[in-house]
Amino acid sequence: MASVSPTLPIGASRETLDATLARSGEGAISRAARYAALEEFASLAPPRAPQGRFWRYDYAKLDFAQLKPSVPSVALRGETQRGVTAVPFSNAAAQGGEAFANAFRTVFGPLDTRFAALAFAFQNTGTFIHVAAGSVVDDPIVVRYEVAEGDAFPYTLVSLGEGARATVVEEFTGPSQGVICGITEIVLDARASLHYAGVQQSSSQSHVFFTRRTRCGAGSSLHVALAELGSALTYTTLHAALAQPDANVEITSLFFNTGDQHIDLTSGVDHLIGPTHSQTVVKSVATGRGQGRYLGNIAIRPGAHGAEASLRDDALLLSKEAHIDSIPALEIASNDVKAFHGATVGSIDEEELFYVTSRGIARGEAERMIALGFFEPALERFPGEALRARIRAALESKLE
Amino acid sequence: MSQTGLQIDDLRVSVAETEILRGIDLTVERGRVHALMGPNGSGKSTLAFAMTGHPNYTVTGGSVTLDGEELLGLSPDKRAKAGLFLSFQYPAAIPGVTVANFLRSARQSVRGGDLTPAKFRQLVFEKLDLLNMDTAFLGRYVNDGFSGGEKKRLEMLQLAILAPKYAVLDETDSGLDVDALAAVGTSLRALRESDDGKNTGFLIITHYPRILQHVPADVVHVMMEGRIVKSGGPELANEIEREGYDKIREEVLGGVG
Repeated sequence: MASVSPTLPIGASRETLDATLARSGEGAISRAARYAALEEFASLAPPRAPQGRFWRYDYAKLDFAQLKPSVPSVALRGETQRGVTAVPFSNAAAQGGEAFANAFRTVFGPLDTRFAALAFAFQNTGTFIHVAAGSVVDDPIVVRYEVAEGDAFPYTLVSLGEGARATVVEEFTGPSQGVICGITEIVLDARASLHYAGVQQSSSQSHVFFTRRTRCGAGSSLHVALAELGSALTYTTLHAALAQPDANVEITSLFFNTGDQHIDLTSGVDHLIGPTHSQTVVKSVATGRGQGRYLGNIAIRPGAHGAEASLRDDALLLSKEAHIDSIPALEIASNDVKAFHGATVGSIDEEELFYVTSRGIARGEAERMIALGFFEPALERFPGEALRARIRAALESKLE
Repeated sequence: MSQTGLQIDDLRVSVAETEILRGIDLTVERGRVHALMGPNGSGKSTLAFAMTGHPNYTVTGGSVTLDGEELLGLSPDKRAKAGLFLSFQYPAAIPGVTVANFLRSARQSVRGGDLTPAKFRQLVFEKLDLLNMDTAFLGRYVNDGFSGGEKKRLEMLQLAILAPKYAVLDETDSGLDVDALAAVGTSLRALRESDDGKNTGFLIITHYPRILQHVPADVVHVMMEGRIVKSGGPELANEIEREGYDKIREEVLGGVG
């Protein structure tokens, strides 16, 4: 993606899709649906890029004409536990049976973003994870995509039957300098409870476009935690629609831009009815020429009585050229609801630094300590001490 | 000139172009307790911050040496490494950093990893015990959501773990209710009487003589308008308790009106 072109040369992309399908077959997504998605991609407007002084990417000028789809290696863990079905996405229609049919594409209406459409058209890897109704799965189910070369289009579909409980961790790593353009779709039946973590540590030369959509049944509880650590550019959106009573969603996100990493994150919670609950916590840090944007949308629709939403979003800037825009938007169209919002953007407090250095800790180390501590309220919400320790270590090494 | 002691010579300090300290001379010896008393605004906390290197305090003259080593010009961390400790009047909160990690980093920085992890743990538990503090402190974030009394006790714990040569206690007794004051006073006495504490030189900054009931001072200094106007034995603190600062003010600054 070194070169840019003002418009997508659709023909070239069609050829790429033709070639991809000829090589690996249509899998769980039909040929017709893929071509339709490709057309949607071409017709959908690209998102508007942030206006920051040092922001380098114009989404309208990204050139996807030369995509080189390549299938990443996928490693699964925890998939043999009782009540768990985990199969490659390509076989999901055949092996996933009714559970797959009931969940697949029930979250998306039309593909609503350009990158979702691209991911859908070119989907070349992925995993279907289903936890049967009533099953309580103790160990996390981990799916790890390692992208060695070329461009990857993962599709992860997670569905939990009624009353099921599980933890799913989705990870992206690998040295590829290409595009990772994926979809995660989460479907919870009534009273199901899912902890989902998405951890992105792809190469610092890669470009990541991710769309996550969720559907939450009555009385269900969804905890989503995202850590965006790698890539040159990440554009990711997460959207939760709460359309059933007592559906709860907790969203946690952290990102850390170093070098000249660009991270653009949107989260949205739509309270369509009440009572429903959401709690969003975002912690972001930027240093070097790291650039970031967070768009936090909360909507409480007319008639969503008893909805409760909170949004807490803090950004810490460690260098003069680092920049993070934090743009919360609360749209409240119903009475007797509770909504809270708080946001800060700033640098490290000098009094904190003085306090730490007065204990013998050198200034650089004190800054590291304070910055790592800043992430901690978000880190605490990731599932499992082992995962938290791994993310903490990754953050630490980025601070060095 | 003596090469031991925390020696302050003709120290002059300004904050935002206003001279606050107008020539302070004071020497604290290892193992002795000096009390620095004075009314609000006399410059006591300025002295504490200037000695420890707070960036907002500009030293315009004089020197501060610690066993012969000049501290002025050193960064705050290097002053701590030299053996100076400040117990803050208003300690900052460091969200997300546990007390345990903070203590470990501080000890490692000041003492260069002199203890194995096991020995360090042992030290921490000993000092918690000495100060009658709950181990639950260790898992909490530094001063985050702490009560006034808890903050002061954490300062005492850090003092115990770092075992500095000289400790400046800035109004450790202020803003505490009677029970919290008693708890902090007891902690301070335990510290003072511990093996490390017996070797530490203390400069206890306070408005009130109350805390000196827990830790008797060997020498009492009174500061007014940026100068030490009177020094004496422990009886000076009692005199202040009985008569307030007015009499001393008249004595030393009086004859003005």
